[in-house]
Amino acid sequence: MRALFSSRFPTAGSVRSLVLAGLMVAGLAGCATAPPADDPEAVAEFKELNDPIEPTNRVFYAINTALDDALLAPVARGYRAVFPDVVRTGISNVLVNLGTPVRLGNDILTGKPRRAGDTTMRFFINSTAGVLGFFDVAAGMGYKKTDTDFGLTLANLGVEEGPFLFLPILGPSGPRDLTGFVVDRAADPFTWVGQGTAVVALGWSRTGVSAISVREKVLDPVEQIKKTALDPYATFRSLYRQYRTAELTKLKNDNRATIPVWFPDRAGEQINPPAR
Amino acid sequence: MTDRRGFLLAALGAGAAAAMPGSAHAQAAERASAFIKTTGERLVAVVNGPGSPADKRHAIGQIIVAAVDVDAVGRFCLGRFWRQTSPDQQKTYLALFQEVLITNITAKLGEYQGVKFTLGRARPQDEEQVVSTVVERPNSAPATVDWVVTKPAAAPRIIDVIAEGTSLRITQRSDYSAYLQRNNNSIEALLAAMKSQAILNK
Repeated sequence: MRALFSSRFPTAGSVRSLVLAGLMVAGLAGCATAPPADDPEAVAEFKELNDPIEPTNRVFYAINTALDDALLAPVARGYRAVFPDVVRTGISNVLVNLGTPVRLGNDILTGKPRRAGDTTMRFFINSTAGVLGFFDVAAGMGYKKTDTDFGLTLANLGVEEGPFLFLPILGPSGPRDLTGFVVDRAADPFTWVGQGTAVVALGWSRTGVSAISVREKVLDPVEQIKKTALDPYATFRSLYRQYRTAELTKLKNDNRATIPVWFPDRAGEQINPPAR
Repeated sequence: MTDRRGFLLAALGAGAAAAMPGSAHAQAAERASAFIKTTGERLVAVVNGPGSPADKRHAIGQIIVAAVDVDAVGRFCLGRFWRQTSPDQQKTYLALFQEVLITNITAKLGEYQGVKFTLGRARPQDEEQVVSTVVERPNSAPATVDWVVTKPAAAPRIIDVIAEGTSLRITQRSDYSAYLQRNNNSIEALLAAMKSQAILNK
């Protein structure tokens, strides 16, 4: 990418962008070729991977990686260099707190009253005692953060993840999780409450800061994967799917009864130890 | 209210009884947990301890070779391609696999400082025991790391590490499989790539 911009020969540059554009078009039209039917193991693996538009996905992976190398990762590294840990954690906490309405909605939609309760308590405690969400005091009180999104709500209802999608800017996803993302964005009160330049600016700032904050957190693991994986795209695909499946399992297994944490039982022990 | 609590206690008791039949399973769980505790403590001591990166790499490598069934993990990671590989290639592959595994894990652990690890519960899974731990590092959220221990009673060895729901060996297998498919299923190409990776990341 850098070579493309800094080339001293504009013609070479334009040829390369032409080639790049050509590749992109070819990629966009590309579907993965299924293995021959006489190799049942390969066919089974192909079905399990469920990545029918892999060539296209790989094009977007390459574009995202180039954008990330040129823009987001350097900004995230700068963010890490400028702000101390405490401030970065605080900023992340504020962003998590702002996500409360959407998370609470999904906690309710997944039929998990304890998760909904934890999310509500966290919002009240952290917005007040935690100084507008900067400090996560609620976690220390046993109200741990949950990460329910609409993609998981759909998964909980039995919707399959569907074919793998690597999306521009957004990264790894699938039809179910992409739907979840759109619904969560639309349901977020910050998307539709208020109007005017200030509100729009605040909304975009939140998106921007959120992207930088999230990227900073995964700087080391992403670098590690790029260094150690022979095929980083396949590795990210596998990790994304495993992580989503694990989140769903965690959600399904969270069947704590709706008795408050502080309610003592006869032995003086907690009946419901807070979820990890 | 008392009734409900009584019922809950009874239910809890029943659950605990089902989980611990006081037989082979409980013993296997105990052994697997003890094994992970010892291995984990040794790893944490090296990671948090003094010593140059080269010393640490050597020490971590020794712990991995002793505690992990590297050959079994290696075979798993090659998946369906294992049977299409000649005995010579298998030997080369397993040697490279061990080297790459140690390099990758050391690279990941080498920079950590102030690591803390807490032993959780063990649960049976087929023939194996899965021991749950929580790994804490400064300035990071605590991570749940599950260790899959094979033959817990006789000769316990680790065959998988599952960090926050993502399995090391499944991820590695999908990496190799994707690489092979994009290189005409050539084992030689994979071996060459592993070799250059081992040199690069050393």
